[in-house]
Amino acid sequence: MNVLDEIYQKAKENPQKVAFPEAMNEKMMQAAYETGQEGYIIPVLVGDGAEIKKAAKERGYEEKVFQIVDISEESYKKTLVEKYVALPQTILKEKALNRRMQNPLYYAMVMQAVGEADVTFAGIDNTTGDVLLAGQMIIGLKEGISTVSSIGLCDIPGFQGSEGSLLAIGDSAVCTNPDAKQLADIAISACDTVKELMDWEPRCAMVSYSTLGSGQGELIDKVVKAVELAKEQRPDLAIDGEFQFDAAISPSVAEKKVNRESKVAGKANIVIWPDLNVGNVGVKLIQQFGHADAYGPMLQGFQKVVCDCSRGAPVSEIKGNIVISAVRAAGSR
Amino acid sequence: MMERKELETQVINMVATSYKQDAAKLSMETLFKEDLGGASVQMVALVAEIENELDVELMLADASGCASIGDLVNLVEGEL
Repeated sequence: MNVLDEIYQKAKENPQKVAFPEAMNEKMMQAAYETGQEGYIIPVLVGDGAEIKKAAKERGYEEKVFQIVDISEESYKKTLVEKYVALPQTILKEKALNRRMQNPLYYAMVMQAVGEADVTFAGIDNTTGDVLLAGQMIIGLKEGISTVSSIGLCDIPGFQGSEGSLLAIGDSAVCTNPDAKQLADIAISACDTVKELMDWEPRCAMVSYSTLGSGQGELIDKVVKAVELAKEQRPDLAIDGEFQFDAAISPSVAEKKVNRESKVAGKANIVIWPDLNVGNVGVKLIQQFGHADAYGPMLQGFQKVVCDCSRGAPVSEIKGNIVISAVRAAGSR
Repeated sequence: MMERKELETQVINMVATSYKQDAAKLSMETLFKEDLGGASVQMVALVAEIENELDVELMLADASGCASIGDLVNLVEGEL
C-alpha cells in the first residue's frame, strides 16, 4: 500500500467535515462530491445555496452527499457570528465580520473557527495570497508561531530512510526568506504537521552547507540560531542541526560528521531548508532526479487546517489534497 | 467626512498598536517592510483593526501592497 492509499484509508475511518467556499467551481464540486460519496469526508458547500443546488443537479450529483450552506440565510449566519466573536483572540468585530462573511471564503473559515467544519479547502478561484491572508485573519496562527509555512511529503523510489521511502520537507512553497525565528517556527510547525498526518515521531533536521560548525558565515548563523530558538520554544521536539543534507538523512555520513549525541542526525524524517530558494530547488531535484511523488504543499502554522490547492490541479490531485487535509484535521485533535 | 489629518493620526495609532511601535516615531513616510520589518500577520491584524474602527473593508492584498503608511492612508481614504 503506498502512502496515499494509507492516508485515504485513515480518512475513511473518521470522515471530517470539509468546507468548500469555491463550490461552484466545476473541478472543486466534482472533487468534493467524489470524496464525499466515497466516504472520505463530509463535504460542506458554502455559497449561494440555490445556485449550488441547481449546479449540482445539472452536473448529475446527488444532493444528499452534500451539506449546503447558504451564506445569505440570516439566522445561521447570526449564530456563527455570535459564536465567533465570543472566541478568545479573534481580531474582527461583529460589523466587520459580517461584511467579510459575504465572501464564502471568510464564511467557511468562520464556520471552521467555531467548530462547524474541520477544514477549509480553497485555492482554485482564490489566489494563494487570498487564502493565506483570510486564514490569518479568521483562523489565526498557532500560539508562538510567527509565520505561515508549508511542508511537502515526498515518496522517493529507492530511498531507504528512517521512514522507508518517505521524507517530509519544508518549506518549499510559502515563506520566502525566513529569519531565524520564522525558520524555527517552520520546523516546529512541520513536526506538528507530520505527527497529525502520519503519526510519526518527528525527527527534524535543519540543513545548511555546514554540519555543526564545519563551515562559517551568516547563512549558517541563521540556521544555528533557528535550531537554538526551536529547542528553546519546544524542548519536547527532536529538532537538531545545523546539518548538511547527507548528514541529516544518511546514518553513515552522520557517523562521520556528527560527533555528538543526536536523535536526528542520520535518521531525520523531516528536513527544513534554510530558505525558499533552497526549498524550491530542493523539491524539484527530488522530483526530477529522484523521480519522487511530492504531496502538498500542506499549509501549516494556522490554529486549524487550512488548505490551498494549486489552480491548475486536476481533480485527482485536488481529491488527494482534500483527503490529506481531512486526516490532518482528525489527527490534530 | 473625516479630515485627512485626523485619518492619518488614527491610522498611525493603529499601526503603532499592530506593530508594537511608538506612534511618535511613525510618519506617513514610514515604510512597512524596511522600517517596521513586519510579517503579514501584523498587516492582517492592522487591516482588521482598521475595519473594526473605521467601518471600511479593505482588500488584504491591496493593503499588503502598500509600501508606506501614507499609501495605506490613501487606500483607506479611497474606501471611506
